[in-house]
Amino acid sequence: MADHKQLRKEILEKTKEFYQARFGENNYSPGKSRVNYAGRVFDEQELMNAVDASLDFWLTEGRYSEQFSEKIADYLGVDNVLLTVSGSSANLLAFASLTSEKLGDKRLKPGDEVISVAAGFPATVTPIIQYGLVPVFVDVDQETYNINIEQAKKAITDKTRCIFIAHTLGNPFDLDAIMEIAKEHNLWVIEDNCDAFGSKYKGKYTGTFGHLSTISFYPAHHITTGEGGAVITNDAQLARIVRSFRDWGRDCYCMGGENNTCGKRFSQQFGNLPFGYDHKYVYSEIGYNLKMTDIQAAIGSAQMDKLEIFGEKRKENFRKHYRIFSKYPQFFSLPKATEGADPSWFAFIVTVKESAPFKRDEITNYLNSKLIETRNLFAGNMTKQPAFVDKKWRIADNLDVTDRIMNNTFFLGTYPGLTDEMFSYIEKTVDEFVTSF
Amino acid sequence: MIVKKYKATVEKIENVIEGVYTVTFSSNGRKFQYSPGQFLHIAIDSEYDGIGQWPDSRCFSMQTSPNEDNIKITYAIKGDFTKRMKEVLKQGVKVWLKLPYGDLFTRLHDKNHTVFISGGTGITPFLSLFTDSSFVDYQNPVLYAGYRNKNFNIYEKELAKASIINSMFKINNVYEDEAGMLNIEKIYKENGNTPSYFISGPPVMIKLFKQQLLAFGISESNIYTDEWE
Repeated sequence: MADHKQLRKEILEKTKEFYQARFGENNYSPGKSRVNYAGRVFDEQELMNAVDASLDFWLTEGRYSEQFSEKIADYLGVDNVLLTVSGSSANLLAFASLTSEKLGDKRLKPGDEVISVAAGFPATVTPIIQYGLVPVFVDVDQETYNINIEQAKKAITDKTRCIFIAHTLGNPFDLDAIMEIAKEHNLWVIEDNCDAFGSKYKGKYTGTFGHLSTISFYPAHHITTGEGGAVITNDAQLARIVRSFRDWGRDCYCMGGENNTCGKRFSQQFGNLPFGYDHKYVYSEIGYNLKMTDIQAAIGSAQMDKLEIFGEKRKENFRKHYRIFSKYPQFFSLPKATEGADPSWFAFIVTVKESAPFKRDEITNYLNSKLIETRNLFAGNMTKQPAFVDKKWRIADNLDVTDRIMNNTFFLGTYPGLTDEMFSYIEKTVDEFVTSF
Repeated sequence: MIVKKYKATVEKIENVIEGVYTVTFSSNGRKFQYSPGQFLHIAIDSEYDGIGQWPDSRCFSMQTSPNEDNIKITYAIKGDFTKRMKEVLKQGVKVWLKLPYGDLFTRLHDKNHTVFISGGTGITPFLSLFTDSSFVDYQNPVLYAGYRNKNFNIYEKELAKASIINSMFKINNVYEDEAGMLNIEKIYKENGNTPSYFISGPPVMIKLFKQQLLAFGISESNIYTDEWE
């Protein structure tokens, strides 16, 4: 019988060859191929890791999950990384963890208020509603697309317990101001870092300021595992609670295949269970099962080695878009990095000025007809979305800028798969459209 | 803190007392990362390559402080695994460690008056804190350390270091052959209801002391135990 180690080696060599044959060539043709706003960027290593993990057939969290988590922890300089099935699930877990009775008086309870924004992706807000709390929507700043700090300060009431906001499209929100507000009012802070993995604020990575933060590994994001996400925290107690919510609500924190890592599996008292009831089957939270598979983690581990390069490429692509659109200051409001921030841009966001002779939808329809993908800023104004219309929420003051974004704003991709040839085509197409007015 | 696997080398084995071994490990790569009072798992299966399923392992408290390069553990031969440890662990041997685990001192506790009670090698998780710079934050810490006899107190060097870090530190060594076993009632009378009580040692001792402290009216939230099977 053939040696399995040798066979594995041969399969991985073949996988490398397969990559070259299937994905090795760039077949872009201007005007004929789509310029996507995002997409997975990978080489043979991702494919080889995925196959390697498949050959292990361990499937659930295993060696690659350990490796992937460690790489993220080392990169961000954090203590705890909990892998999960998506960025949205990471948001759900991060928020759910703050409702745990283990936090005593500090836990979030139904009816409490959470500061957020309406100009964003619903996954930042839905956990607030799902757990019976009240989102308080604060308007955003037109240039940074992040929360308006002055309005945020005014939005605080004696019911406010938490701030849960995203770094919009990779641009960090004003972390100094938000952390100061949180400190003054004793609030939890969750950074939705799903669109900003690798961004920095005053030299420190976003996702390392709040009590908890989240990352997404959906293909549109800075690195991908297909579906996937992670919760980050430096707080040991919160990490244990997040793990519990992720793993069915169980109290035990052993990984798949591990047993008795606490050394007291059969000698503890829990709830009304008999003394010594198997800790592996003790449930101290009402949890979910949201664990990542080892095959996803294997891909993520290879992607982590490219995060820095991807981030640089995103910044470069942002600058290229900026040059194209800055030729027409009379028509477009261009994005601005938050003061002190070094964004790893998720996208290039543009707002068509009210005074422009065309509307947002006219330019996006034109670009899309020329196979250049654009996107609106996600949900636009969340309060106007069908799922949110009849839910309990509060608008802090007004959402004037949010409404303007809903009507006039769109974004283009900055993902590392964009080439110079694509940018030439984008520039030519934008010029054609604008000069027709 | 994220649990990581470390390939480590046995640097030194000390066998001051019959059946009790103190082993020092150095990391073959990255620096060990853990907090005072945490424990590790050691795997001694020579077939394990650090990649596949984690093999049979046992947990031991790390008695060093996190700012030291090496990790020290102390074990007593009590079962098959520790018997195998005695056979396998020789100077220069490579093993796999997985750490950190446990939350003994990361749980919220009052540092204004803290009582540490240990039996035998149960002192080891406390040593990790005592020799760490964070020990200076404790006001009036008191240790009651029980040993079979003076020969079993092999931690004087660490305790001397602790006294330098925290000059308020009071050490009470209780030798069974001279003064009998640790007396929890006496400890309680000397310290009262308000301190945080940390107990580490044989499971029977932990269970008994905890029951008695609860009976004296101490809140369960003020009693912290480091107990394993």
